[in-house]
Amino acid sequence: MVTSQGNHTTPVQPSAGSAGAVATTAASQHSTERRSSAQRRSAGPKHNAPTRSAAARRKDLPVALLLIIPSVVGFAVFYAYPTLRGIYLSFTDFHVLSPPSWVGLANFRELVHDGVFWHSLWVTLYFVVLSVVFGTLVSLFTAVVLHRVTRSSFLRGVILLPFLISNVIAALVWQWMLDPTLGIINIALKDVTGHSILFFGSGPWAIPSLAAISVWKWMGYYSLLIFAGLQTIPETIYEAARVDGAGEAQMFRRMTVPLLRPILVMVVVLTVINSFQVFDIVQVTTKGGPANASNVLQMYIYEKAFNEFDFGYAATMSLALFALLITVTFTQLRLARANESDLN
Amino acid sequence: MRIQKIVAMGATLALAAVVSGCSSGSTSASGSKTVNWWTWDDKQAAAYQVCATDFEAANPGVTVKISQYDVADYFTKLTAGFVAGNAPDAFQNSVQFFQAYASQHQLLPMDSYIAKDKFDLSRFSVGVDAWKYTDGKQYALPLDWAAAGIYYNDATLAKAGYTRQQADSLTWNPDDGGTLGKMIAHLTVDAKGVRGDQPGFDKNNVKTYGYGEIAAKDFIGQTTWGPLVESTGWRISDKESWPTVFNYGDPRFVKTMDWIRSLTDKGFAPKIGQFGDSVSDIDLLSSGKVAMESAGSWEAATFVKIPGLKVGIAPMPYGPDGKTRAVLSNSNGNNIWAGTKNPDLAWKWVSYMGSEACQSKASLTGTFFPSIPASMDASAKALAAKGVDLSVFTGMLKNKELIASPVYVNGAALQAAVEPLFQAYFAGQKSDSVFTDMQNQSKTILAKK
Repeated sequence: MVTSQGNHTTPVQPSAGSAGAVATTAASQHSTERRSSAQRRSAGPKHNAPTRSAAARRKDLPVALLLIIPSVVGFAVFYAYPTLRGIYLSFTDFHVLSPPSWVGLANFRELVHDGVFWHSLWVTLYFVVLSVVFGTLVSLFTAVVLHRVTRSSFLRGVILLPFLISNVIAALVWQWMLDPTLGIINIALKDVTGHSILFFGSGPWAIPSLAAISVWKWMGYYSLLIFAGLQTIPETIYEAARVDGAGEAQMFRRMTVPLLRPILVMVVVLTVINSFQVFDIVQVTTKGGPANASNVLQMYIYEKAFNEFDFGYAATMSLALFALLITVTFTQLRLARANESDLN
Repeated sequence: MRIQKIVAMGATLALAAVVSGCSSGSTSASGSKTVNWWTWDDKQAAAYQVCATDFEAANPGVTVKISQYDVADYFTKLTAGFVAGNAPDAFQNSVQFFQAYASQHQLLPMDSYIAKDKFDLSRFSVGVDAWKYTDGKQYALPLDWAAAGIYYNDATLAKAGYTRQQADSLTWNPDDGGTLGKMIAHLTVDAKGVRGDQPGFDKNNVKTYGYGEIAAKDFIGQTTWGPLVESTGWRISDKESWPTVFNYGDPRFVKTMDWIRSLTDKGFAPKIGQFGDSVSDIDLLSSGKVAMESAGSWEAATFVKIPGLKVGIAPMPYGPDGKTRAVLSNSNGNNIWAGTKNPDLAWKWVSYMGSEACQSKASLTGTFFPSIPASMDASAKALAAKGVDLSVFTGMLKNKELIASPVYVNGAALQAAVEPLFQAYFAGQKSDSVFTDMQNQSKTILAKK
């Protein structure tokens, strides 16, 4: 069950066959792989130079090209081309049915003065903050409970179930349960408190309701990641702490959380990206309403593009979101030193 | 050498796969002898199937394929069809999207066909002008006309002491609500059975609302606030065709909105969003959540057929002067797609749908009112025999109480900008200064090309 500390310093893959450590390898691979590939890179030239000539490597080139063609074609057709075209479109006035016309920076000027865009940005940030804070806390708590309390793989599987449901179905089911007149939650609320809550129908509740659905949906997945991270922490550290007289809460705060940092950072980064891109649950439930209270950025972009056919401006907003996401992600990774582990 | 060949072959194969993958999506365009027709109304899709069968019998070898897509996705799907080249040959369209499609050359002008066939447009009593574009050409034949009326639970009204005559001659004004306002208050009943106009009424536990969802986000208010504010002489736009402003800032409009918000504040009508989208007007009345409500004329047959409930239909109330009624009427149009492979056949089908023969038959279902007066009379008579009394609506037509819905540009953008403001106002988040803001926004959006 316990992965020895040594695994992380040697560039050797941990033996996947070691008893019941499937989840363990998934997580430890993450850190070891990066580590080992870095070492390989630095050790590479020294190692390869005597045995392989430049000519031999050139002979491999056609086969190498052939092998990467499928992924390069996929990348070029489905990623690079649409991205470049999207960037181009953001400088045009484009209504799908007639060819785009170049308008320079007009869309960007409109963006700066578009109150709804900035409002959407704040709404999205609010959603992100709620999802990240509560998502991470709930997942961490679940993972720790799973790790400390149960050994049943059935329970660990059950926790993952919401993740297996599609977003649309999760949103639909929650919408029914939260329905102001027919929903089971509101019927229960009405019996207990005498009032029902318009979860999707009132401004202050819309985003928290959506964030709750999102947290519920992703909780299992993130707790599994954290759970895997927990398994990489050697039991010996806890034994040492217990000998020193540390309590369960103290061990959690002083050891578990700091040692989980790389995994937690990954979870936070994933949640941030995921939450910034929230769309489907909004489209299914509130469609951005009421009064733009849940009009997240993706929803606004969709509305502009596919309802108002203003594709040029929608592309501009997408570009802004793209720039924003890149900045946020890089800053996060930088600040959190995610590529280092404290276990060594 | 050999390897290069393999590389080339691999590249070709990959390319071929990509190309074929792209093209397979758009091959489902209409065959040579099939007319595809789209509507967003499931009931009309069924109604027009009668015409399709007759048309197929009269034109051997021709198939008419009627498809229905929900209105929430209809126009997005239609646009995707224009782009992909597989849009239907002809389709039902709303004035809201007329300009967007016409300005991008997706609609076929019908003037040459109308001239060739000597098709007489005067057979339509309403809706022809709504489908004339800025270039003066006719882009659609009107499919129907629509109005709004008050639907009420007959037993509830009788129990509250109202007669049908009283319901038929209601008055309204934005100051005290007139007899309509009094009736709404009296019909509202809380959980303990106290009426809205009696002391001790608990507005937080209402069992039956006196009026339906009149606080609505709809930016035209066709079946909600429209008929009330229009009875004051207010009109939504400065002119009927291609207006430059929507008059949301008019004092008469603001006063009406204040009155409507006072209804929801007093608990006489449900607050905005109180019933989810899944609850229809029909559900509200049949479940007893509301005692009466205004709704579209196209729902008349469905209302009357609610099992175990007698539903009465009353005209909208007289305005502040006590004698003016005004109800907005819109006409959906039957367009031909400019990219159709069979324009002649598409016209044949569209012009057949615009004939008295087809309209009289299809409108028997009561799911729409035909624009041809003779067909309207025929279907009103047939429906009356089935117990659906449409005289309230035909009366509006005869008494000239209908006002034409404006034709305007950028409908989708206007809707997206104004609806959140209505929601915010009715939710109490914004004061009535929001309406000046709305009027200014409408000016900007209507001026956009």
